[in-house]
Amino acid sequence: MISDMLDIRELRKTFGAGKVALDGVSFAVRPGEMFGFVGANGAGKTTTMRIVMGVLGADSGEVTWQGRSLGFAERRGFGYMPEERGLYQKMKVGEQVDYFGRLHGLSPAAAAKAVDELLVRLGLTERRGDAVEALSLGNQQRVQLAVALVHDPEVLVLDEPFSGLDPLAVDALAEVLQERARGGVPVIFSSHQLELVERLCDSIGIISAGRMVASGTVDELRAAEGERLRVVVREAKPGWADGLPGELTVAGDREILVVRGGDDQAILRAALEAGRVEHFGAERPSITEIFKEAVS
Amino acid sequence: MSHLLLVAGREVRAQVRTRAFVIGLVISVLVVGGIAFAPRFLGGPDSYTLGRVQVQELPLKALAPPDAEITWRAYDDEAAARAAMLDGELDAVLVPGNRVLTDGEIDDELGLLLQSANREAQIGASGVTITPLTMESVGADTRYQGARRGIATVVVLVLFLMIFSSVMMVAMGVVEEKGSRIVEILLSSIRPWQLLGGKILGLGAVGLINMVAIVAAGLTGALLSGVIADFPPGTTGIVLGVVAWFILGYAFFAAFAGALASLVSRQEEVGNVLQPMTLLVMLSYGVAFYDSVQPGSTVARVLSLVPPFSSMVMPVRTAAAEVPLWEVALSAGLMLAAVAGVLAVGAKVYERAVLRTGARVRLAEVLRGNKP
Repeated sequence: MISDMLDIRELRKTFGAGKVALDGVSFAVRPGEMFGFVGANGAGKTTTMRIVMGVLGADSGEVTWQGRSLGFAERRGFGYMPEERGLYQKMKVGEQVDYFGRLHGLSPAAAAKAVDELLVRLGLTERRGDAVEALSLGNQQRVQLAVALVHDPEVLVLDEPFSGLDPLAVDALAEVLQERARGGVPVIFSSHQLELVERLCDSIGIISAGRMVASGTVDELRAAEGERLRVVVREAKPGWADGLPGELTVAGDREILVVRGGDDQAILRAALEAGRVEHFGAERPSITEIFKEAVS
Repeated sequence: MSHLLLVAGREVRAQVRTRAFVIGLVISVLVVGGIAFAPRFLGGPDSYTLGRVQVQELPLKALAPPDAEITWRAYDDEAAARAAMLDGELDAVLVPGNRVLTDGEIDDELGLLLQSANREAQIGASGVTITPLTMESVGADTRYQGARRGIATVVVLVLFLMIFSSVMMVAMGVVEEKGSRIVEILLSSIRPWQLLGGKILGLGAVGLINMVAIVAAGLTGALLSGVIADFPPGTTGIVLGVVAWFILGYAFFAAFAGALASLVSRQEEVGNVLQPMTLLVMLSYGVAFYDSVQPGSTVARVLSLVPPFSSMVMPVRTAAAEVPLWEVALSAGLMLAAVAGVLAVGAKVYERAVLRTGARVRLAEVLRGNKP
């Protein structure tokens, strides 16, 4: 069966002076999937995305889209937002987006139509005739996204699209991306805002020091991490949790025990004996916790 | 091809709309037009108003240049004539006793004219007739030497300024795109040669607009001032040649500059990385300038055949003196080949270097073909 995915396989890249940037990075993004790419600074996110876009060559490994390895013709159908934003500062917003549409092969009429729609969608209609340099950072970022979207790309590769945006702009951008994903486009984006990734993404890949340490759907990652039991006891007798598994933290007169596995009934009895139980329940780990766990 | 033109079109629009372009164009048109028109103020046809006090008019008309205007005014007494002259109404006053009164030292030309006319008149009065000498050149036609040198001086300056400024625009544009990483988006939709080629084409078109405007301003100025009558035959050919050489020279240096500029990521580094190109332009300019002042040197003759020097030296040579057609053809052929060569190598260097942001990329490394 021919894969309909964007498949990244065993990418390796070493820069000069023997610095290993990527050490066998593999993951796949399905059509219509929002893939959040997270990792510490310098972990290899940007390098991976640059290789996907052909801006950088890999030492080995392969990227395929719908079963075909990527060449210039395939990548022309991709939309890309590089980490360091690039726009012509003195060019007007409308003309700039139109220009990139034309470069991607749109006819003048199709480009004009796409520009109209996008500027409305991104709330830039009133800035259409302004030079990019006259715009706020947030608005420049919207223009950058418009440039990535103008040719109705088959695949979206976005490096830190949300960095530096206010919450309203984040929502506006997120909505546009989700809309594209619903239209069947695989969307890869990197971000340090883990709550945002958790809210938007179907799948997440965590990269650390050039290796993928975890990847899968949000549910899969949570399942892999396992459910945990969280118990909050108020005014507990000191030493009540000795002998019980898990981690105990103290916050004021509350003691919080987080346990993975173990006999929950025995723990409950111990807690009841120790003091006033305020909270007792199973808890799913947040992406932030999974991330910290994965990269530690 | 359509992408090349799209890129070129953007470059033209981006430049033509700037205030700097419009102001630059207006200034250069005014300056060049002014220079061409200036002889009218400086030389112009001579006109003299002379007074005479109870003496005959001297036959100045016969001796003066054909377009000179000579007016005589008769005065009854010397005092009246003197007063009129001191008021600036008269250039000189002829008074009895073969005396000429002037306000300060006499104009050289007028002095000579009066002396000759006086001599003629006195000899004529004694009954001797003089047959004037007829001048005839048996050597090369040097009638237009002065005009040719003047044209050559203007040509060398215009070529140098236009080529250099247009080429700098290419270099700065390349670094702008590389430094802002916009090149990463551009190169995921078009090929590197289309991006560099479109930029060279577009900025070349802008340069050509400037060039044509300047040439038109120069010719208009010359036409209005009447200087055009002094132009040697074949001036049209010289002017068209200059435009053609501008295109060749620009293409060579622009490809060279574009390739070198792709090695750096910051505008501050442009001057440094362009040094080899700047040196070549300066050398070409130096030799061309020398030839416009002192035509016919062996160095100029040799370098007018060697690219890229030929792009500036040959048009100056053809303006300054007659050059055999075969030399022009050979020089153009060699230059065309050099342009093709530097375009090919330049595009390769650009392709390999322009995505390698950060520190300056070493040219040797790029030429060896190390992939990013």
